[in-house]
Amino acid sequence: MSGRKPALGADLVIPALALAFAGYFFVSISDLAWEAKSNGVIIGTLLVALVVAQVVRIALKVARGEASLGFDALYRPREVFVQRLALVAITIVFIVAMPWLGLTLDLFAGMLAALYVVGVRRKTVLLGVSFTVAAVVYLLFIAALDSAFPHGPIEAMLAPLWH
Amino acid sequence: MSIDFLLGLFAHSFSLWWIIWPAILLGIVVGILPGFSPQNTLIMLLPLTLAVPVDHAFAFMVALYCANHLAGGVPAILVKIPGSGGAAATTLDGFPMTQKGQAQQALVLCFTASVFGGLITSIATLALLPWLSKIGLYLRSVEMVVVMLFGLTLIAVIAAKDVLKGLIAGLFGLLIGVIGTDHIYNDPRATFGFLELYDGVPLAPALIGLFAVSEALVMIEEKMIVTAEGRERATRSNWADTMEGLRIAARKWWHIVWCSFVGLFIGIVPGAGASIGAFVAYQQSRMWSKHPELYGTGIPEGVIAPEAANNGVTSGTLVPMMALGVPGGSTAAVMMIVLQYHGMVMGPRLFTSHPELAYGVFVSMVVAYIFMVLTILPMARYMARIVLFETRYLAPIIILVTVVAAFVERQYLFDMGLAVVFGVLGYIAHKTGYHVTALLIGVILGPIFEEYLVRALRLHQGNPLALFSSTTGNVLWVLLALSLAVPALRAWLRKKKEST
Repeated sequence: MSGRKPALGADLVIPALALAFAGYFFVSISDLAWEAKSNGVIIGTLLVALVVAQVVRIALKVARGEASLGFDALYRPREVFVQRLALVAITIVFIVAMPWLGLTLDLFAGMLAALYVVGVRRKTVLLGVSFTVAAVVYLLFIAALDSAFPHGPIEAMLAPLWH
Repeated sequence: MSIDFLLGLFAHSFSLWWIIWPAILLGIVVGILPGFSPQNTLIMLLPLTLAVPVDHAFAFMVALYCANHLAGGVPAILVKIPGSGGAAATTLDGFPMTQKGQAQQALVLCFTASVFGGLITSIATLALLPWLSKIGLYLRSVEMVVVMLFGLTLIAVIAAKDVLKGLIAGLFGLLIGVIGTDHIYNDPRATFGFLELYDGVPLAPALIGLFAVSEALVMIEEKMIVTAEGRERATRSNWADTMEGLRIAARKWWHIVWCSFVGLFIGIVPGAGASIGAFVAYQQSRMWSKHPELYGTGIPEGVIAPEAANNGVTSGTLVPMMALGVPGGSTAAVMMIVLQYHGMVMGPRLFTSHPELAYGVFVSMVVAYIFMVLTILPMARYMARIVLFETRYLAPIIILVTVVAAFVERQYLFDMGLAVVFGVLGYIAHKTGYHVTALLIGVILGPIFEEYLVRALRLHQGNPLALFSSTTGNVLWVLLALSLAVPALRAWLRKKKEST
């Protein structure tokens, strides 16, 4: 660690996102009345000014050789970063698959995959935790509160118990 | 209101224990789940509340509402995931206490501050209802702009470690908060073409993403969420820790009192809510503290202030509904639907036509808080054990269950996707030192601030001097300036004293 320059490239990700969003925001309000844009214009202008200040601050540090433009902060430790990406991917698949599988089965499958990804290998634990979580969520959201979650085979099978 | 009448109300409320207790338990369960608001639960339970007598329905709704506000602090303390916007400020000191192995004490402080904050304000409301109801009339849009600024200055406080990063996060949040149609013409702004964003960014997915998903993605780096020392302390936790939490709360009784009144006054204003109350109380608590630099490191005052305030709000939101017929918040609006279904007309006449109901609501609240403290205090010891679970079990459960909870508020799958987007944003912010709480304050307060600001300006033909046009408003401006200047002055004097 000693002697390594701090990688500040990652510090520019939020400013870059903020700047992109502010730009889009300004375009989307360009034709609106003052009431609709006054607040956003003030906030957006201040935000752009601060982002510029942050960029200048980091650029000066890099120019002086005190920092680099690396993105280490975002993906270190590397082995955990792969798990993170996998968890995000599983969550996206979980959301996309819900209309077909229904809440309970989808959650059971999602939990199995997520637990496996983070290193749980014992089958009893994998199945037990996934089943318990899916069952509790089913009981709370479907059986007790009758929320409008997508229904699948499990909900269809258990529906006669509650209606 | 005679003593006999009041005692009769208490006796009646205690006799409804069989409906208050289940409501408390349900309120605690749904309060712990991020994104699950009391109004959603009450809407889902409308068939029940419409079917029972009105006093039973009200006792049930009030107990559930109060318990929900109390329980939001539990995940905020244990896993840094607020159960509601009102508990977001609790994460600032609650979670650091957990990391130090003081989860049980933090929970006890949260429960005590919530219960006594709620009790004090319910009793105060009962005694001062006719006068309190007038506060809503004095706090109009101009004054509310200043109240909002009290909350927004917390961004600057949070930004103290790296001002630029904190302010960028806060302003980014504020700009995200402006997404949706404007308050005057309903023109869509920055909605990316999604109809689901026309009503603005929903709070639940933002809260879940920024805190729950991002925190879970970060926590898998460590085996457990507590430090090794904290783990040892948590393993040895016993009833003495609960007693220690109670002793700390007793020593800080005045803090509980004044913070709960901050919540009460903010709750009275229609449209303001627990989030604003909690942020303002935390900000004020830090501003007037003798040791503001300790806030954020895990100190009892940092847990007490937001929790006392967000439960003070519960009494406050019912004041305009009962006294003026104007719901103080969305939960109060649902309650109003139930009361109107039962033929009750809200407003001043309710106190003469149905005094047992008008005053009974606040008596039910007092009784619910009494039941609540008996129910939840013994649970602190066992709840605190959750920090002993390994993160490889906690993280997947947190991510998937909270993403599921993001659906509940509006019942759009879109909101679950939005939670993931905010999760990734929160993760990047977390890893690069942009404070997610500053981001969330912006998202929560941004739309409300804009609403009051535009309304105030429009009433005065766009003249910004309108913000200084009322006496109450000007008093609040002075208080705001004082609350910013005095701590800075004190810090400067302390530094000067140390250097000489």
